[in-house]
Amino acid sequence: MTLNTEFMLETFFIALKGIPVTLSLAAISLLLASPAAFFMAIARINRIKGLQKAVTVYVSFVRGTPMILQILVIYSLLPSLLNQLFMNLNLKINVFDVNPILYAYIVFTLNTAAALSEVFRSALQTVSIGQLEAAQSIGLSTYKAYTRIVIPQALVVALPNLGNVTVNLIKGTSLAFMMTVKDITALAKIEASYGYNYIEAYIVIFFIYIILCSGVQLAFRLLEKYLGGYRKPAAG
Amino acid sequence: MTRPFEPSFIIEVIPQLLPFLGTTLAIVTGTVLFGSMFGFILARAKIRGRKISKLLADLYTAIIRATPSIVLLFVVFYGLPELLLGTIGINSNGYNKVFFVLIAFSLQFAAVMSEVMRSAYGSVDKGQYEAAVSIGLSERQAFIRIVLPQCIVVALPNFANSLIGLLKEGALAYTIGLTDIMGKGILIIGNNYGAYALETYIALTAIYWGITLLIEKSFHLTENHLSRGNKGISAS
Repeated sequence: MTLNTEFMLETFFIALKGIPVTLSLAAISLLLASPAAFFMAIARINRIKGLQKAVTVYVSFVRGTPMILQILVIYSLLPSLLNQLFMNLNLKINVFDVNPILYAYIVFTLNTAAALSEVFRSALQTVSIGQLEAAQSIGLSTYKAYTRIVIPQALVVALPNLGNVTVNLIKGTSLAFMMTVKDITALAKIEASYGYNYIEAYIVIFFIYIILCSGVQLAFRLLEKYLGGYRKPAAG
Repeated sequence: MTRPFEPSFIIEVIPQLLPFLGTTLAIVTGTVLFGSMFGFILARAKIRGRKISKLLADLYTAIIRATPSIVLLFVVFYGLPELLLGTIGINSNGYNKVFFVLIAFSLQFAAVMSEVMRSAYGSVDKGQYEAAVSIGLSERQAFIRIVLPQCIVVALPNFANSLIGLLKEGALAYTIGLTDIMGKGILIIGNNYGAYALETYIALTAIYWGITLLIEKSFHLTENHLSRGNKGISAS
């Protein structure tokens, strides 16, 4: 078995250019999904009628279907819907000019929101209700009680799961090539297709993802250590 | 884009897809079997292996967890034939694609399972084992009759999650040309020259969602049944 090392090195640096795309997919999806996920979690914790049911079904749907199908459904549904919208609004925008990364943002946001809502829900439930009541009793508004007392504590608890969601999201973005987004995987695949060097290309992205995901995991672990410093380990 | 959406096709296409559900489920079953065996070895290494085997098992898990399924699938599909040919001279050209899919997903599932098993083992109090040995059970008996049954109950929810994850990731097998339920769907779309794509995807989504719900439900029932004698501190 001979690997074309020259090609691998070249592809490595080409695929590295996809890292910003991959990371921006992950970062923007997380940013967009977080507020939605927070409210979904609140809706489920407070058992808001109707909303609770809807959120449960939504989370179950996202958890119950493969990411690839979510991508395929949205990618074949959304452009025609957008086209309809543009026509109705009399906008002279060709739907084919829309950057496909937009669809990727939507898919990954929808997907991440479901996962995050579960993370937030379990994290919020670890904060005792007494914390919220105590905060309110000394005169904080509900909003302030949440942002200053409850959320900071919940966030520390949520960090490990948040790290998992982020890593899964980064891994998931490797499917963005289905929507012609030029992320790490797509760039390496394109390079490979010129000379049928698929093995080399996939080994290269294999390594890039390992480095990337390990980096993210490490960052979360450090953050956890830094933010969780106030928590003393249980006596053991 | 002008063709109207036809919901009736979703119903029509399901009978064409269902015969291929067997392949999907067979892959999942095979992966669970092989992955659990390998996962058990890994878990054993992590729990009571020597330093070096523990390190290797941890490293393996870390690498697999940082690798997107599709990348691992492609690395195995393109890389393994070369490896087999180059090292032991086996020509795997005619091998069924199921072979590669099984290997790729088993490698991945083993890493997941090793963590599930390890955490389940860690959750059983050491006193249980000591008590069993103290009343005269052999080490083996103590493990099989006392520790293992308790581990299984603890591991069930995580196992169900891993199983669902596997089922969903398994949908990627079509990308190397396997005709499972997803692959059949893609073939049907191809036969229709790309028409009814959205309808077919929706049918597939519904099938996957249905199976996931079924898995969740049955595991939930099993868990309730198995832990009926277990009264934890959170009895409320």
